Amino acid sequence: MKSIKEISARLKIAKKNISVDEQKEVGSNAASLGKALKISTELVASVVVGSTIGFLLDSWFDTKPLLIICFFFMGVAAGILNVFRSAKKMHKKL
Amino acid sequence: MALNPMHQFEIYKIGPEINLGNINLSFTNASLFMTISALLILSLLFLGTKKKTLIPSKIQLITEMSYTFVAKMLNDTAGSSAKSFFPFIFTLFMFILFCNMVGMLPYSFTVTSHIIVTFVLAAIIFIGVTILGFVKHGIKYLQLFVPKGVPIVLLPLIIIIEIISYLSRPVSLSVRLFANMMAGHTMLKVFGGFVISLGLLGGWLPLGFSVALTGLEILVAFLQAYVFAILTCIYLNDALNLNH
Repeated sequence: MKSIKEISARLKIAKKNISVDEQKEVGSNAASLGKALKISTELVASVVVGSTIGFLLDSWFDTKPLLIICFFFMGVAAGILNVFRSAKKMHKKL
Repeated sequence: MALNPMHQFEIYKIGPEINLGNINLSFTNASLFMTISALLILSLLFLGTKKKTLIPSKIQLITEMSYTFVAKMLNDTAGSSAKSFFPFIFTLFMFILFCNMVGMLPYSFTVTSHIIVTFVLAAIIFIGVTILGFVKHGIKYLQLFVPKGVPIVLLPLIIIIEIISYLSRPVSLSVRLFANMMAGHTMLKVFGGFVISLGLLGGWLPLGFSVALTGLEILVAFLQAYVFAILTCIYLNDALNLNH
């Protein structure tokens, strides 16, 4: 029993010594780096997926350049939508 | 050969060639390092939970911290209804983290720097989450593709865009992890090559860069495992709670 009390007292002192601000800053730095990497790939992936769908549909229906152009732009739109959404989510969390 | 920065990603057989029908099932260096990572996780968890004390030992502390870290992440992003998926998320996070970290050791091989590994992981998540959504909500899950408050004229276009955005999830998930790991390791090797080719005279600057990059790479290795796990949680949340 005594040892637990001693430990809790030592824990309190140790917690005081940790500067809270410093800890927070490191965490948020890593998190923002993660967010930046996340958003950049989201934009690119949608464009790639859109173009691939366009290409596949083109070779299916034999309408060579038409659908890939359409789906490329839709992929860009989807990418921007994705980025917009994750930015909104981040804003909510802040 | 040793100076080629892409040489480290080469896959080769270890032991005899095993063929099952048309599928080549030989044990490669990739399988070896996956096994090593899995064994490391198992031994960490086994040692950490073997002797449970009120005042945790260091190894018990690491185990408990990783548990609370993942549990908190899952609870914050996907809510309490996703509690039953904790084992999956924990396994995923630990596996990617250990694969990345084992890859940081000299003479080792980074499993996650191969797109097929990360893409299979992402595809399992994508298919699993989609099936889960349909099981949980039935045909209503398709509401995910129809945002509220869109005029009917624009609806066909929006639905296609939403489907593309949904299909891009596994691609962005896998490419992010693969690209980060591969780019980081290539860069390390390039700077390492500079050290050798510049010799004793000019090699100190790239050596310093290599040391700094190693630190950055360890951060990235952790961060990518974290991002992969947290995005899985977000997708789970979409499937379970269906609110856009």
